[in-house]
Amino acid sequence: MNIVGIAACTAGVAHTYIAKEKLMKAGESRGHQVIIETQGLAGTQDQLTADDIASADIVVIATDIKVKGKHRFSGKKIVEVPTGLVVKSPNKLVEKLEEIHREKKK
Amino acid sequence: MNIIKKLELKKHMMTAISFFLPIVVAAGFLLAIGNIAGGETIVNFREGFTLADVCTTMGGYGLGLLPMIVATALGFSIADKPGIAPGLIVGMVASGIESGFLGGLVGGYLAGYITKMIIDWMKVPKWAEGLMPTLVIPFLSSLTAGLIMYYFIGTPVIWFTDILKSYLGNLDHSSLFFYGVIIGVLSSIDYGGAINKVVFAFVFTLFSEGIYEPITVLILASMVTPFGMTIAFFFQRLFRKNIYTKMEAETLKTAFPMGICQITEGCFPIVFNDLVKCVIATAVGGGIGGGLSMLWGADSHIPASGMFALPTMTKPLAFIGALVIGSLATAIVLFIIKKEVDPDEERVDFGIAEEEDIDFSDIKIS
Repeated sequence: MNIVGIAACTAGVAHTYIAKEKLMKAGESRGHQVIIETQGLAGTQDQLTADDIASADIVVIATDIKVKGKHRFSGKKIVEVPTGLVVKSPNKLVEKLEEIHREKKK
Repeated sequence: MNIIKKLELKKHMMTAISFFLPIVVAAGFLLAIGNIAGGETIVNFREGFTLADVCTTMGGYGLGLLPMIVATALGFSIADKPGIAPGLIVGMVASGIESGFLGGLVGGYLAGYITKMIIDWMKVPKWAEGLMPTLVIPFLSSLTAGLIMYYFIGTPVIWFTDILKSYLGNLDHSSLFFYGVIIGVLSSIDYGGAINKVVFAFVFTLFSEGIYEPITVLILASMVTPFGMTIAFFFQRLFRKNIYTKMEAETLKTAFPMGICQITEGCFPIVFNDLVKCVIATAVGGGIGGGLSMLWGADSHIPASGMFALPTMTKPLAFIGALVIGSLATAIVLFIIKKEVDPDEERVDFGIAEEEDIDFSDIKIS
């Protein structure tokens, strides 16, 4: 499936980018396409395009703070988690996403 | 419980902290450099000034802004753009009644939730709909939040900070050490994560009341890990036990200078490879360093910037002493409990089986 999402942590220095990396690695190792936008101290990077979002099956927002541009995902299945969870258990999270996605299809 | 969870108090506080951290850092560094160079606050622009004066003055402005920034960011986080106007005004109220950072925090929550309540619950006739965002929401939310601040909340907040101040001002030696340990452990164990930020909000409240020791403990605790890990690197040569892989040793080269500037995050690659043992080593060092720093009365007059805070302290030697002992403690503990590794080993990622189970109450699906 196509996973898109946002990562953002409080300081915007480390957790944001680690969460992105872990999520991408875990997702890709299970055969998904993952695109993550980061909203860190350096501002928005790797911004999601309209096409990315349109073709997404599920949206993951890994954040401890208020993220920008949540309205872009209206109508999509959105899963919001703290960044700490992604850092600790990326594979289990992706497994959970697959489950949510399957339920949605039913 | 559900209602409290729905309010998302913590998330809003984290957003507020994410907004003001860059300001704290900018203001802290300006103030530190200004003070080192002997700058003074510019009172009259026409009478001339030095570069040092400019730095000191700007740093002072930045720190003075903080109650307002917190209130504004909280307002924005809770009620989006409409929360900014009442947040700014109520933040100024918090400064004006000298309720400091805590006042800004309370005022910001007030401004945000009041604005959100007006947006969500207030129904107006059709002809007045255009007036809502332009006039009613900004005016009514600011007025209501401001009135509550002046008439109800301001006084108790000031009482509370006064009580806290006199309590902390009269601690004996053993309790000083005890509080230092607690602040040191809590602010170091999650490496700049959520716990650290909550502690920061607390010690910054004290800082804005002129109690400088607790925030100094936090500065120190953030530096103990990178310093301790670097010292442990030299231990491995000395005692012929390899605890770092080549890749990990390489990260120390950036982690140490980052540590000087009070940034722990450079150590992450090492920490995540051996989380539990690193946390134990960090907690021991952070606790010991924090306790000693508090006991000896190290006092940074700026709220961040690591080693650069040194010249602003009246007892810089106390800080250095506590930092060295704390870092050594981290280094020794880490060196003892960390397993010997092959320096050429590549980092292996954990499989799914070793991962921690997900706490489903943390997940929000919509």
